Amino acid sequence: MKKLLLITALGLNFAFASSVAPSDNAQYQKECASCHFGYQPALLNKASWEKVMGNLSDHFGTDASLGKVESEQILNYLLTNAGSGKITANNSTMQITKSPYFIKEHRKIPAKLIEQKEVSSIANCLACHTTADKGNYSERAIVIPNYGRWE
Amino acid sequence: MKKTLCFILLTLTLLNAKAFNAPMQTYMNELSAEAKAANPNFTGFDAKRGEAIFVSKHTGKKGTQMSCTTCHTTNLKNGGQNVNTNKPITALAPSANPARLTDVAEVEKWLRRNFNDVFAREGSALEKGDVLTYIINQ
Repeated sequence: MKKLLLITALGLNFAFASSVAPSDNAQYQKECASCHFGYQPALLNKASWEKVMGNLSDHFGTDASLGKVESEQILNYLLTNAGSGKITANNSTMQITKSPYFIKEHRKIPAKLIEQKEVSSIANCLACHTTADKGNYSERAIVIPNYGRWE
Repeated sequence: MKKTLCFILLTLTLLNAKAFNAPMQTYMNELSAEAKAANPNFTGFDAKRGEAIFVSKHTGKKGTQMSCTTCHTTNLKNGGQNVNTNKPITALAPSANPARLTDVAEVEKWLRRNFNDVFAREGSALEKGDVLTYIINQ
């Protein structure tokens, strides 16, 4: 019985953890997170990362091109740590925000809270997920600017 | 007395002179040779021309009007902000941020990316040299 409880508790913990491994790769941080939030590799699957890294010279409209060596090293890091499962299911686009799971999790947020200048984009994780840089997206750590906690 | 004054002025001028480190100077010399090859009348890079390039507006890669100052602002001693993501950008002026213009690979990477973003093409050797001359003196 105790064992069963423990397993259940562990299972629940896992389901609500909402965490991904932090992006602790110095090269990835330097080359990618100098312009935007350092999205953790687990937020996209392998097919998505291959698309992203295959066209850095037109990266969402801007030139984010890298040297061949750096590009290969970063792709390798991303593929090694790419996501699978519910977060990336049915999303092989280049956008984390196109994942059905992501859309479901964010569906109740009023547009005006996203459009306000403190956030400005649904892709700006750290604006509301205060521990996003550590890979922790738990609801408890959400503070939406000009709104407050989201629980 | 005159001599001392002269010496002090000279020292101050030297201290104030903004110099590239050795690898960056080699890169500047390469740009200079390239600019000279493209135009035999080329006599050297110019900070004023660099500033004009830096503030000039163009239809960028995204099809919108922008300039270098869109992200870096007109005061390079201050930080800026990425226009697409709002992520802060540290100051470009070496006087405020000594790490700037010290790594040739970084400089080449950002010149390539940012000329493409703002001008929708790569910069010429003359343009790159002028802009770097402008920035190093900030």
